[in-house]
Amino acid sequence: MENDQADMNTALMVDGNAVAGDLQQIFGRDMTVTVARCAGCSRDAAMGALMAFTHAPGIVLRCPTCQNAIARIVQTPTAIYLEARGAAFLRMAPQS
Amino acid sequence: MVQPVLEWQAGTVTAIRPETRQTKSFTFALPKWMVHRPGQHYDVRLTAPDGYRTQRSYSIASAPERVGELELTVERIPDGEVSPYLHDVLMLGDELEVRGPIGGYFVWDVSLGGPLLLVGGGSGVVPLMAMLRHRAAQHSTVPARLLYSSRSGEDVIYRDELDGLAAGDRAFEAFYTFTRQPPAGWTGYRRRIDATMLAEVMKPFGKRARVYVCGPTLLVEAVANALVLMELPIEQIRTERFGPTGA
Repeated sequence: MENDQADMNTALMVDGNAVAGDLQQIFGRDMTVTVARCAGCSRDAAMGALMAFTHAPGIVLRCPTCQNAIARIVQTPTAIYLEARGAAFLRMAPQS
Repeated sequence: MVQPVLEWQAGTVTAIRPETRQTKSFTFALPKWMVHRPGQHYDVRLTAPDGYRTQRSYSIASAPERVGELELTVERIPDGEVSPYLHDVLMLGDELEVRGPIGGYFVWDVSLGGPLLLVGGGSGVVPLMAMLRHRAAQHSTVPARLLYSSRSGEDVIYRDELDGLAAGDRAFEAFYTFTRQPPAGWTGYRRRIDATMLAEVMKPFGKRARVYVCGPTLLVEAVANALVLMELPIEQIRTERFGPTGA
């Protein structure tokens, strides 16, 4: 059963590109080339390359190296929640 | 570069073209059209009478040179929430809520140069087609090769256009592989994309290749891992994965 679950999660996985619209809505800019450093393993990855799980009431972005949950996003009718404890930092170019 | 606020807008369907049994291309006229970069996508949103909303992300198929218009090629996922509506219900003249263009990671334009290796599986060929259409519209001579995996001959999207592009352009070549039912008389590849196949197709490019891989997660993982083992610099590899819902 655990294997079935793991296989299904892999099959349903997309990447950060698939949630770029939601990220752009929140941050007001394209975030797919923003680098996220994982608070778990300290590796860097472009947010477009994070593992994304979208088949749930919210979105979960995970580190492609260690699978640590870097960010979770939940949208309600009145608010957007962004929890990003799994990110050490985000690095993006200034907007000029 | 400051980006405009991402807004939902109502696109009007101006053309619907069947591509294969499972895929159709939809052309929209957009009131607030913006130039896109090949590889970007649009979000499509449906709202039910009771207010329930659902959205999916679809790659842009058209070149940015087609001003005012947006073409999306969508695979019909039988138990999907959005694609069956697009395939079975949406008609010419209908309006659909879309927002975009979105994304800056999986993009290529002629200013980035090459040589360009595009690797696609199934409807993962769609953003790669936007790159090829843009390259052709710009009369670019950047060497380009497409390696495209399909289940059967009938599942190849854009076959005629791809063969036409290859016939008229010595710098572009398309390679096909079939994983289930190759066309009658097929003498080319008939297996999943593997390291041997990749090495053969990218041989003239060597480690200079700029590679874009789009398709189901398992295909993307296999190709990306093979490229890394071939010691291609990781910054030259861009991937886009989609799950079974055609996200």
